[in-house]
Amino acid sequence: MKTTIQKFAAGAKIFSLIILGGCFLGFTTDVNKSDLEVPATKSIKTDIKKELGVMPVYGNWKTFTKEDGLPADKAFCVRIDGERVLVGTNAGLAVYENNEWKTYTVEDGLAHSGVISIDVSELTGDIWIGTLGGLTRWSAGRFYTFTQFNSGLPNDVIYSVVCDGKDVWVATGGGAGHYDTYTEEWGIYTERNAPMHEPWTYGVCAGGNKIWIAAWGGGVIEYNPKTKGFRDYTDPDGEMEIDLFPDDGVVHNITTGVSYADDILWVGTYFGLSRYDGTHWKGYFDHDSGLISNFINFVKADGSVVWLCTDLGLSSFDGDTWVSYQKDKNSKKGKILITNDSGLKEVDAPTSISHNFVSGVDIQGDNIWLATSKGVCRGEKLK
Amino acid sequence: MKKNKKLFFILGGLVIISLLIISVHKVSRLHVNYMTAVDDHPLNCISCHVYTQKDGIVAKLINEDYLSPFNMAVSPDGSKLYVIAQDGDALLVVDTQTNKVTGKIAVGERPHSVAIKSDGNTAFVSNQWADNVYEIDLSLLKVVDTLKTGSGPAELAFSPDKKFLYVVDSYSSEVSIIDLQTKTEIKRLVAGNNPVAAVFSPDGSQAYVTSRRTLPMPFETPPITELTVIDAATQMVKERKMFDNAYLMENVAFTPSGDMAIATLIRPKNLIPSIQVEKGWMMTHGIGIIEQGNEGRVIQLLTDEPNAYYPDPFDIVITPDGQKAFISHSGADVITVIDLNAIRTLLAESTQKKLDYYSNHLGISSRYVLKRIPTGANPKGLVLSPDGKNLYVAERLEDRIAVISTENLETIKTINLNGPSRITVARKGRRLFNNAGHTFQYQYACYTCHPDSHEDGLVYNMAGADMGRNLANTRSLRDIGDTPPYKWNGKNSSIYKQDGMRFSTVLTRTEAFDYDELDALVAYIVTGIKNPPNLRYNPSGHLTEAQKRGKKIYYRTHTNYGEEIPVYNQCATCHPPPYFTNKQMTDVGTLSETDDPMLLDVPHLNNIYESPPYLHDGRAATLEELWTKFNNDDKHGVANDMKKDELNDLVEYLKSLRDAKYYKNDPEYH
Repeated sequence: MKTTIQKFAAGAKIFSLIILGGCFLGFTTDVNKSDLEVPATKSIKTDIKKELGVMPVYGNWKTFTKEDGLPADKAFCVRIDGERVLVGTNAGLAVYENNEWKTYTVEDGLAHSGVISIDVSELTGDIWIGTLGGLTRWSAGRFYTFTQFNSGLPNDVIYSVVCDGKDVWVATGGGAGHYDTYTEEWGIYTERNAPMHEPWTYGVCAGGNKIWIAAWGGGVIEYNPKTKGFRDYTDPDGEMEIDLFPDDGVVHNITTGVSYADDILWVGTYFGLSRYDGTHWKGYFDHDSGLISNFINFVKADGSVVWLCTDLGLSSFDGDTWVSYQKDKNSKKGKILITNDSGLKEVDAPTSISHNFVSGVDIQGDNIWLATSKGVCRGEKLK
Repeated sequence: MKKNKKLFFILGGLVIISLLIISVHKVSRLHVNYMTAVDDHPLNCISCHVYTQKDGIVAKLINEDYLSPFNMAVSPDGSKLYVIAQDGDALLVVDTQTNKVTGKIAVGERPHSVAIKSDGNTAFVSNQWADNVYEIDLSLLKVVDTLKTGSGPAELAFSPDKKFLYVVDSYSSEVSIIDLQTKTEIKRLVAGNNPVAAVFSPDGSQAYVTSRRTLPMPFETPPITELTVIDAATQMVKERKMFDNAYLMENVAFTPSGDMAIATLIRPKNLIPSIQVEKGWMMTHGIGIIEQGNEGRVIQLLTDEPNAYYPDPFDIVITPDGQKAFISHSGADVITVIDLNAIRTLLAESTQKKLDYYSNHLGISSRYVLKRIPTGANPKGLVLSPDGKNLYVAERLEDRIAVISTENLETIKTINLNGPSRITVARKGRRLFNNAGHTFQYQYACYTCHPDSHEDGLVYNMAGADMGRNLANTRSLRDIGDTPPYKWNGKNSSIYKQDGMRFSTVLTRTEAFDYDELDALVAYIVTGIKNPPNLRYNPSGHLTEAQKRGKKIYYRTHTNYGEEIPVYNQCATCHPPPYFTNKQMTDVGTLSETDDPMLLDVPHLNNIYESPPYLHDGRAATLEELWTKFNNDDKHGVANDMKKDELNDLVEYLKSLRDAKYYKNDPEYH
């Protein structure tokens, strides 16, 4: 009996691969190339505008590197704080304000110069900085550092940090951590007290009165602060690297980021993207959607649009239309891929994102900021 | 023969009684000598065995319930003075015309401050040991509402639009902002360490919040204390002004024009050997000024003089014309009058470098100190009448308000608050504790390093045989009567010994307390210093889940690997309830290279969360560091087998520990 099931599963895998491969080929052959912008007007050509609908598109990219004042070219994360842009680099925190970059390092009080996550408390204005050596609270100029040695912080590697009212959550290499700023109590959640596969957590977000944790190898963990109860969402296909049965759950257990907006949870993995509306899951892959790469470093949902930072560029999606941004390796110019029901349209852009390995994104009014492996870049919303 | 026999028995009896008396006297003498470390302390059993009674009928007979006026506010029309009776748990209403107490409203435990609404009909009182603020209808003299706050609410300030109440949470180091429409706390902002006072600038754009304790600093570095600036429009902290080498910034006031904000502060020299006391300049006292122009320069100036110190500056008020400032020095029983125009001139003509130099200059005060006005014992809160003509001074340990003319700079009258007329031995001791008269040139009082009879969070270089050795972290005095020995090295078997001759030799460098004074001081320390309730981590005695898990770890007998932990290395062996100390000396591997070889007194752990830094020399900034940094060899309890969440649970349990009285009769702890 068991052998029959295994044979059936193996057959199903092969069948799925053939079907998906076919879809992929069909999808990518319908390419229609054109230019994006009307020269010198920062406006989009009318025919492309129709394709986009309400989906924003960005151009006129400007790149910032060490030459412009960044402490390092390798940027891990970016977070907007009003008029300021906060960028985590491998050589400290860079702050862009009034057209100037200023750097903060360990000497200023930062826990570690490798800054990999940032969030801003809407309640207090305090900035919480996740580094490779602890968590720093930057409050009106004062740095206060939590480490696994001087506090209840689970681990010093802070992949993700999020402020939720008076609470601060971190995803660390030693579990998810919860810090109540009123009681100063730390809670640690690992495989010892939560439905996790291992302590390593990679992303955390708040939304829908829940906390969502991207647990490496453990899918997504939902935490309800009211009941203090957990629920896990894992890939029904187990450890397989393909999504055997579409939309049956999170696409993979190796989750890298979570973001919640408009009652939708978005989950990034290294094997595709998942969307969860509280009832149904839906998966997106580079072979069956406009997602530019399955290797997702970071997810950010902003209203109805979700942004996916990948190893091959930036993708965005509003439920109908995909817009992805790449740098052409040869021409160094920009390339925008627009995908919707009518297929894929590839358009050229005079400027490009700074590098295709994108680690972070945030929106500042009509501007978008990206953290990449080769600098930070800012795009302007095209009209 | 019969007569001789009778005589023999009488004589024999007398001999036996005499021998008994001699023996008792000798034993008593030895006992007293041992307890006091001197051989001539009067053999007065009452000293130790009556005055130090904390509970029971004797305690009630020998003690009194004093009022202890602390902070005050005046009604908008000046007709009423509202006085916080800190020990009386009351708000007193004083008629400023008749100088009589006309009302008394019971408030919460340990009230701290009062703020009056501009219509004069409503008062808000912060209850520091109840974590709330009472709203009081002044026409009814009745509490009408209770507002929940953070931990240890201290001073209160209304937002300029009067819609919000800013509450300084002194224990949790935050500022709670309360919406007065909904009566709910909308947010808490992080302030400095142990903040106490808040005031809005005259234009209402920002609030300044002082703090008392230094920010956590690396080991063996001077203190830095923060003044927090809150933007009124965004209700967020916009700046943190740092005062180097300063602490105990108790209160702050703006000039009416808003050109300066001035805070009281102390500049301690805790890292130099305490032998410096006899050369002066060990503890200096003064003001911190934040200029509103000149890019907000931060300046510190002393109010001391060469060879004369004015310790423990507490409150500050500024006259409506902006010409004079008054400062209460609660350790010297003096009000200092400052000529603000002289200060303005000094600032205008001085560079920052010059001003930095002046910050340690004992002579510079002659340029701006107009007068010293003597007061009764322990002047604390100050408030001016609305016309600025009268200055009210809360003489805390007199149960009295002094009224000083701001024109003549003389005390014109005192208002008796009708506290007990009898001065008890413990009250006398409290006055001594708070007064610097027994330190060389009045440099500091006991209170200076033990504010609120607790500790100041600093590490001192107590001059011993070798300079720079044996650094000592100040220890709390709360409820220490039952936890001998004293000092980190445990050399003092009693408080008598601790505060006797050696104390004057090492610390105060002047005449020792006489024996009556010593009796009084000991009586106060043993009976009058309570632990605040641990409302923050253990308000009801019901432990949280983490604390329960931590308690199991505290009492565990086996490691996570199943190995038996030797009894001597189990937490509860050295730290048993109710005080969580076995009162023994021990070595837990924490001596540093600069320490003499010695055993250390096992500290008590009640309310331990309030006493960072930790270890005898303050090396451990947090409770976690006791085990993550300074317990490599598992000599301070077996901890290296624990996972991080287990250590967190243990720390949560330690933070839950509260006053010993809760554990004395709890069968769970026996």
